[in-house]
Amino acid sequence: MESNKKYWKGLDELQRTPEFAEKNKNEFAEELPLEEVLSESGLNTVTPRRDFLKTLGFGLGAVSLAACQTAPVHKSIPYLIKPEEVTPGVPNYYVSSYNGQSILVKTREGRPIKVEGNGTGLFGNHGTDATAQASVLDLYDVSKLKSPKLNGAETSWKELDAFVKGELNKVQASGKKIRIVSSTVTSPSAKSVIAEFISQYPNTTHVQADAVSYSGIIQANGSSFGKAVLPRYRFDRADVIVSFGADFLGTWIAGEEFTKQYVSNRNAQSLKKGKMSRHIQFEAGMSMTGTNADSRIAVKPSEMGLAVLALYNAVTGSQTGGAQIGNNTAADKAVKLAAKELQNARGRALVVAGSNDVAIQTVVNAINAALGSYGATIDLDNPFYTYSGNDASFNAFVDEMGRGEVGAVFFLNTNPAYTYFNSKAFSDALAKVPLKVSFADREDETASLCNVIATNANYLESWGDENAFEGYYTLIQPAINPVFSTRQAEQSLLIWSDNAQKNYYQYVKAYWEKNLLPAAGKTWKQLLQEGFVYTGEKPATAYTFGGNVAAASQAIATQSKALAKDIEVQLYESVAIRDGRHANNAFLQELPDPVSKVTWDNYAAVAPKFAEEQGIEEFDLIEIKGANGYTVVLPVLLQPGQAKGTISIAVGYGRTKTGKAGNGVGKNAYPFASVVNGTVQFLTTATISKTGGKMELAQTQTHHSYEGRTVIREASFKNYLKDPHTGNDKHQGEHKTYDLWPEHKQIGHSWVMAIDLNACTGCGSCVVACNVENNIPVVGKDEVRRRREMHWIRIDRYYSFNEGGKSVTEEKEIEKLDNFDDVSVVHQPMLCQHCDHAPCETVCPVIATMHSSDGLNHMAYNRCVGTRYCANNCPYKVRRFNWFNYWNDSRFDNYLNNEFSQLLLNPDVTTRSRGVMEKCTMCIQRIQGGRLQAKLEKRPLKDGEIQMACQQACTAGAIIFGDFNDPNSEVRKALGDERTYYVLQELNVQPGIGYQTKVRNTVEA
Amino acid sequence: MSSISLVFRRVVKSLILVSVLSIGIHVKAQNAPDANAAAEQSAAGAATGASAAQAVKGDANAGGAIFKQKCTACHAMDRTVVGPALKGVHERHDEAWLIKWIKNSQALVAAGDPAAVKVFNEYNKTVMTPFPELSDDDVRNILAYIQVEGDKPAAPAGGAQGAEGSTGAGQGSGEVSNFMLGGLIVVVIVALLVILVLNRVIKTLERLLLQKQGIVIEEEADEEGESAAAKIRRLSKNKKLVFFITILLIIFFGTWGWIAMWNTGVHQGYQPTQPIKYSHQLHAGTLKIDCQYCHSGAYKSKNASIPSLNVCMNCHNYVQATEKYNGEISPEIMKIYKALDYDPQTKQYGSNPKPIQWVRIHNLPDFAYFNHSQHVSVGGLACQKCHGPIQTMSEVYQYSPLTMKWCINCHRENNVNYKGNAYYDKVIAVHDQLKKGEKVTPAVLGGLECGKCHY
Repeated sequence: MESNKKYWKGLDELQRTPEFAEKNKNEFAEELPLEEVLSESGLNTVTPRRDFLKTLGFGLGAVSLAACQTAPVHKSIPYLIKPEEVTPGVPNYYVSSYNGQSILVKTREGRPIKVEGNGTGLFGNHGTDATAQASVLDLYDVSKLKSPKLNGAETSWKELDAFVKGELNKVQASGKKIRIVSSTVTSPSAKSVIAEFISQYPNTTHVQADAVSYSGIIQANGSSFGKAVLPRYRFDRADVIVSFGADFLGTWIAGEEFTKQYVSNRNAQSLKKGKMSRHIQFEAGMSMTGTNADSRIAVKPSEMGLAVLALYNAVTGSQTGGAQIGNNTAADKAVKLAAKELQNARGRALVVAGSNDVAIQTVVNAINAALGSYGATIDLDNPFYTYSGNDASFNAFVDEMGRGEVGAVFFLNTNPAYTYFNSKAFSDALAKVPLKVSFADREDETASLCNVIATNANYLESWGDENAFEGYYTLIQPAINPVFSTRQAEQSLLIWSDNAQKNYYQYVKAYWEKNLLPAAGKTWKQLLQEGFVYTGEKPATAYTFGGNVAAASQAIATQSKALAKDIEVQLYESVAIRDGRHANNAFLQELPDPVSKVTWDNYAAVAPKFAEEQGIEEFDLIEIKGANGYTVVLPVLLQPGQAKGTISIAVGYGRTKTGKAGNGVGKNAYPFASVVNGTVQFLTTATISKTGGKMELAQTQTHHSYEGRTVIREASFKNYLKDPHTGNDKHQGEHKTYDLWPEHKQIGHSWVMAIDLNACTGCGSCVVACNVENNIPVVGKDEVRRRREMHWIRIDRYYSFNEGGKSVTEEKEIEKLDNFDDVSVVHQPMLCQHCDHAPCETVCPVIATMHSSDGLNHMAYNRCVGTRYCANNCPYKVRRFNWFNYWNDSRFDNYLNNEFSQLLLNPDVTTRSRGVMEKCTMCIQRIQGGRLQAKLEKRPLKDGEIQMACQQACTAGAIIFGDFNDPNSEVRKALGDERTYYVLQELNVQPGIGYQTKVRNTVEA
Repeated sequence: MSSISLVFRRVVKSLILVSVLSIGIHVKAQNAPDANAAAEQSAAGAATGASAAQAVKGDANAGGAIFKQKCTACHAMDRTVVGPALKGVHERHDEAWLIKWIKNSQALVAAGDPAAVKVFNEYNKTVMTPFPELSDDDVRNILAYIQVEGDKPAAPAGGAQGAEGSTGAGQGSGEVSNFMLGGLIVVVIVALLVILVLNRVIKTLERLLLQKQGIVIEEEADEEGESAAAKIRRLSKNKKLVFFITILLIIFFGTWGWIAMWNTGVHQGYQPTQPIKYSHQLHAGTLKIDCQYCHSGAYKSKNASIPSLNVCMNCHNYVQATEKYNGEISPEIMKIYKALDYDPQTKQYGSNPKPIQWVRIHNLPDFAYFNHSQHVSVGGLACQKCHGPIQTMSEVYQYSPLTMKWCINCHRENNVNYKGNAYYDKVIAVHDQLKKGEKVTPAVLGGLECGKCHY
């Protein structure tokens, strides 16, 4: 039975090492100096009488002085002329766009403090990813340049314009080339600006290249179907999904949209209809998508292409290339099974691959064509425009620079000195260019090589637009005046190209009014309110596969042989830091990785068994030497589920010039990449050696122990269909309960929450949203190591073993297992459960934590004296203690504690001071605000009107909050679901948060 | 016995000294305003005398009230504001015409009345607000007021008016309290005299008694010659006295400390000096401007908000109180103009505005959340409930202690304003079932829970 399944958070807990037991015995990491005090020397230390009197006297004096003061003088400065729409104390919302998604920016007294999904946006519901939530912090980043720079010295825009224009004219006259290098530009207005710049300076070409490239897919589609685009995948239409290393819920193309699509076939509504998609993942490192898969098979990078080929053969019945996937029998078996399932779901099947190899993508196209996916689950007619970078054109550009043909170069939203695998070749070539202009907002790796830095504005200060996919246009509108002396890159280009229109706002407006608004039948004013225009899907046209599978299989075989020699290294994007552009965002650095729960570092993830073979232990520093000779020293992380003989390393770390928070965090892995078959591939072979050192990673997962109690309930889809209560009945009727507490009568509202474990993908967006909403400090790597991170909501990740489709239940069996490759994962968001019979309340000596009449567990910071008894007594381990005055302590200046980033603080939430306990308040400021709004409008509260920050950020809609006393509320319906259970309900603490069991669509072998 | 009487005598002596001194100072202080009041009264008398001689039709006082309410936005006595200066208007036009004009000037203009058309064109065709609600008598009263006011010589009238404005309301209550104070002082003096006399009697009787017993009285010569230090030394040997004084000191310091500690951080009565001498008494009291005209945030936001200067300019574009400052713009109003970099002559705004830095009077600690709209709009509380008689404060001070005890008491004692608010319907229904007939205070609906204000 599934409910007997053994869950573990980390290998330490699984193996119950003595260190782990010792470490977890205590609530807090630090040793109490008890021994020291009780030993003789401790007892003999005396506080001299004089010192005592001095302290006493000082204390009394200070108190008397405090009592003597008249009222403190606080200045109150009203607006000179108040904008009509601003009422101090009431937030304003502006619609904008981030990463192609329509968002709402919440501003208070003119400063943006929060980003939410645009509820009326195209995707209907709310939700953003973690990077969008954290993006507000970038606005107030003090590491940004405060004014433009010319030849290393601060300058004015006027001087800079004169200089650049003069140089441009010289370059134009000399006939040398001008290049605008950028990551993918989706903005139609910006593209138009660039086109007009090119017409002014005809020697100009626009080179687009993405740090993490998708040119493999684009090229493959070009050769297979004559349409070189990034197609729009439709996971919502797919019943069977097979992914070869594509982290489509996290970082692959459009993780946020894919999450919505994917979850729509797996959430409560879908299960109620008896429908659940099946997801099979083949991958080397454990990705977030892999943790959500129903079946996950570890394959090495060298085997990946072979596995794709094998699937192609199994689906089509042909015999192209080798039949065996290396020595991976599990993969062999899985591919055959997958082929059968895919064939049964023709037209409802989808195969995706994360590889940037044209050959692999060509074979994947062939499989999808054979399965009838085109026009069904893959839409080539309404493609994504978010990545259209071309690796080959960037390589050609580097060569051009090397030959001295380029006279001027402009870098827009790109940082090749850091992200280009051969950064030395790049910087050497760049040195030969006379005019180097960077639009970076800070002096980053590339900008510091440039002679002009025309500081670009943050997106919250800018006008603009985005076009994430065909027909969907979103508007960026500023929510604040520029914080520093910055100017939009587009505006700079307009000025430098002597455009007739030098104001980019007017330019965007004119562009929309001419090109986009008439078709949509909207006015500019409507657009400013709605934020987007969707012109609808283009009808699907039929495509026939015209690719060359035989040639592709040749290429795959060669590549596979080249990789299979040594230890294989796979590079990946981490969910938080992505390609490195978020490296200076402290919120994202401290967001635990969804799988490894590591913060503030990248690491070499290896399989536990493989580490044992190599004689390395967790946190050992190893030197990894890539095929191209690049070496890097990284700490080891033992990652269950990692393919043996492989190392996974996240890119985006090891930035040297990103700012105070991100500099020197982790190591740069980009140089391991190489160009194979014309595209940049994040694979290499490597040799490793121990350096002898050790470095403890700042992990959050090992902090708390439930002492082996089962907090996860899980069922297979098959059993769920038989009985929806499956996996959920273990403790029912077992205990006779005795109440130590009086019954709470909740006469008004009763605030409760429901969390669907089957919808949660573990992305961590809720964590960042909670941080921003509730002024939760970032504490830094050292403090996380001491288990002092402050997150009010965390996502617990539990592993369990699978063996041949069966779940391993008995402890004895676990010891026999040596296969850490086959583990399954459950993510569980954990926050204060707002117990009716809260154990924390009973032990507080000063009654600082109390129960409210509407079912919340209140925490009065000003009453708390910091005994930490409550944290000790909390069975869910959700209370966090302020060890420092994080908002006013110079040691934390790098993160949020400075005069700029303090502007991010939510004025409705107190910042807590040192020595005070805190925890999830159930966003009580939002509850109070929502109730007040209803009272002001003299109407009953509407269900869904009040949303928690975590709920609002959840793309998957896994979190529902509401009033249990409202019989029609969504949350009441959700909690009435058969799958609902309460964590540790046997303790009879009567938690207010119900969870719904995880259902996995496994196939019993 | 003798020592106690000795002490008693000393105390009485010093008491008398102190009280004599204080009375002296007080009388001195009293003299000044009294003189003022006297002068003012005579001036007022003279003024009424003068106006009576002119035999004005209508009640100038009633007219004045209407004038201040309806006319001052656009008219002044001897200066063109929006409309013409009104001094001598009764000489320029006849009364019947003025009544028609004031009630509806446009009708007159439309009818082609030459005088009306002339005035209309003269003032840039600015339409004068019609006042159909005024009766003929009201208009006559206004005209009477204009006549009386206009006849006053400009400068001294302004000065007197200023004084009147500020002392008028305060005078009555001031007199009462002065009278009471004077009475008290008299009583104290009498009591002291009685004590003095009694003391003398005791002394004489004592001496007589001793003399009768045949004891030769030592004159107090040696006592007089004793040095102060020696006296203290002698007194300090009196254990009872020392004990008594110690107890007194302990009680005194204990009480003082207790009160001081409880009032740490309580700033009731706090009245900082503000950058502009803005008078709520004038604006909210005399002119009866609604509080939320300026503090518009109070009914929709957590902040009542200090009005931005554009709100001030709604009126002070025209209202410049020149009549009180010899034709000059009031220096306080000038501060608004200066902050906005506004030139009252050219009516142009400059490019160098500087915000006004008011001093916050009501400071809640950061950990306490208070929302004005909850109390004003939902609770239906008057501003005065917490801010006190704001309409009488020429300078605002903190009226309420703003302590948690004060908050909680109010939440315990007052009913929730739930009538007609659909939000409360369900809550009240459930509440009624549970606790029939008990009054519904914020406290029973959870208004005392920590998290309702602290988060």
